[in-house]
Amino acid sequence: MTLAVCSLPAEAEARPVSYEGGTTLITEHDRDMSAIWAHYTPHHRYSIGYRGEWHREDDHVFHGAQFTWLANRWFGEDYQANLYLSGAAGLAYGVDGNPAGTGAAGSLGVMADWETRRWFVSYMARGFAGETTGEKAMQAARVGVAPYVANYGALHTWLMVQVEHSPEAENPVGVTPLVRFFQGPLLAEFGWSVTDDKPFIQLQYRF
Amino acid sequence: MFIRNITLAIALAVSVPVMASPLALAQEELSSAQITPAMQTALDEGGSLVIVDVLGAVCDFCALAMTRTFERRSEVAAATVDLDAKTLTFVLRQGAQMEDATISDLIRRSGYQENGIRRPETL
Repeated sequence: MTLAVCSLPAEAEARPVSYEGGTTLITEHDRDMSAIWAHYTPHHRYSIGYRGEWHREDDHVFHGAQFTWLANRWFGEDYQANLYLSGAAGLAYGVDGNPAGTGAAGSLGVMADWETRRWFVSYMARGFAGETTGEKAMQAARVGVAPYVANYGALHTWLMVQVEHSPEAENPVGVTPLVRFFQGPLLAEFGWSVTDDKPFIQLQYRF
Repeated sequence: MFIRNITLAIALAVSVPVMASPLALAQEELSSAQITPAMQTALDEGGSLVIVDVLGAVCDFCALAMTRTFERRSEVAAATVDLDAKTLTFVLRQGAQMEDATISDLIRRSGYQENGIRRPETL
């Protein structure tokens, strides 16, 4: 097995499980990779979908199916907290001169978040194993604050900082300040990795 | 005793007109964010208002989930969520019914939790 270092997405997806019958499209571009993800929620406790990842730093791509399970959700009048477990399985192969052939690949992840209308905190960890593209683990945490509180349908704005830890990466610790705009079915995040001097973009649309 | 009778008389004078017009009371208590133009139109056409207190609604995706889940139902003319009031409000079409258990189940399927259901006729 070729043990190429593969970077992992520092995703902190908002609501990876939607309402029953809901579909969400997500695209993300961070310091290490670009990804697209489309998921459908047949039951309010889990979602299934396609995930594609281009690991730019390691020159390989992944295509697979991802399952996300909402293990628990805690409710309050002014807060919501969630615990998600996810798994993905598919194929990965080298690109742009990477000789790694096509092989089975998959990932396991856990994500937790706590959110009010003013504050946001999340943590996620994910491990990836590819038959030809290597193994890797990473973790990320994010904190955010909304400078103003908006009602449904208005533009919501969040100021956030994400810290990623990827032990095998060239820069093991990454710091990405970002701004999140959120209105109705559209969520957009724009940031800049101050440790890697690279942009961060995430767009989500929920149908 | 005299003061108590006066108090009762004032209370009755205030409460009787209100009881005779519960929908008006309900609408007066609702913010503009809880009644959309589509909901007002449905009310004008004889629909009935339902107000649901909801736990965990903190963002637009939460509100979107509940609004879409309810508006997909044929009984529902229009719905909206007020994050400030922490409520889902919707209007049932004229003559349509929806049991409390169904409402709770739809909230659950949206990913959230019902914390009380009020209907204007019972206010």
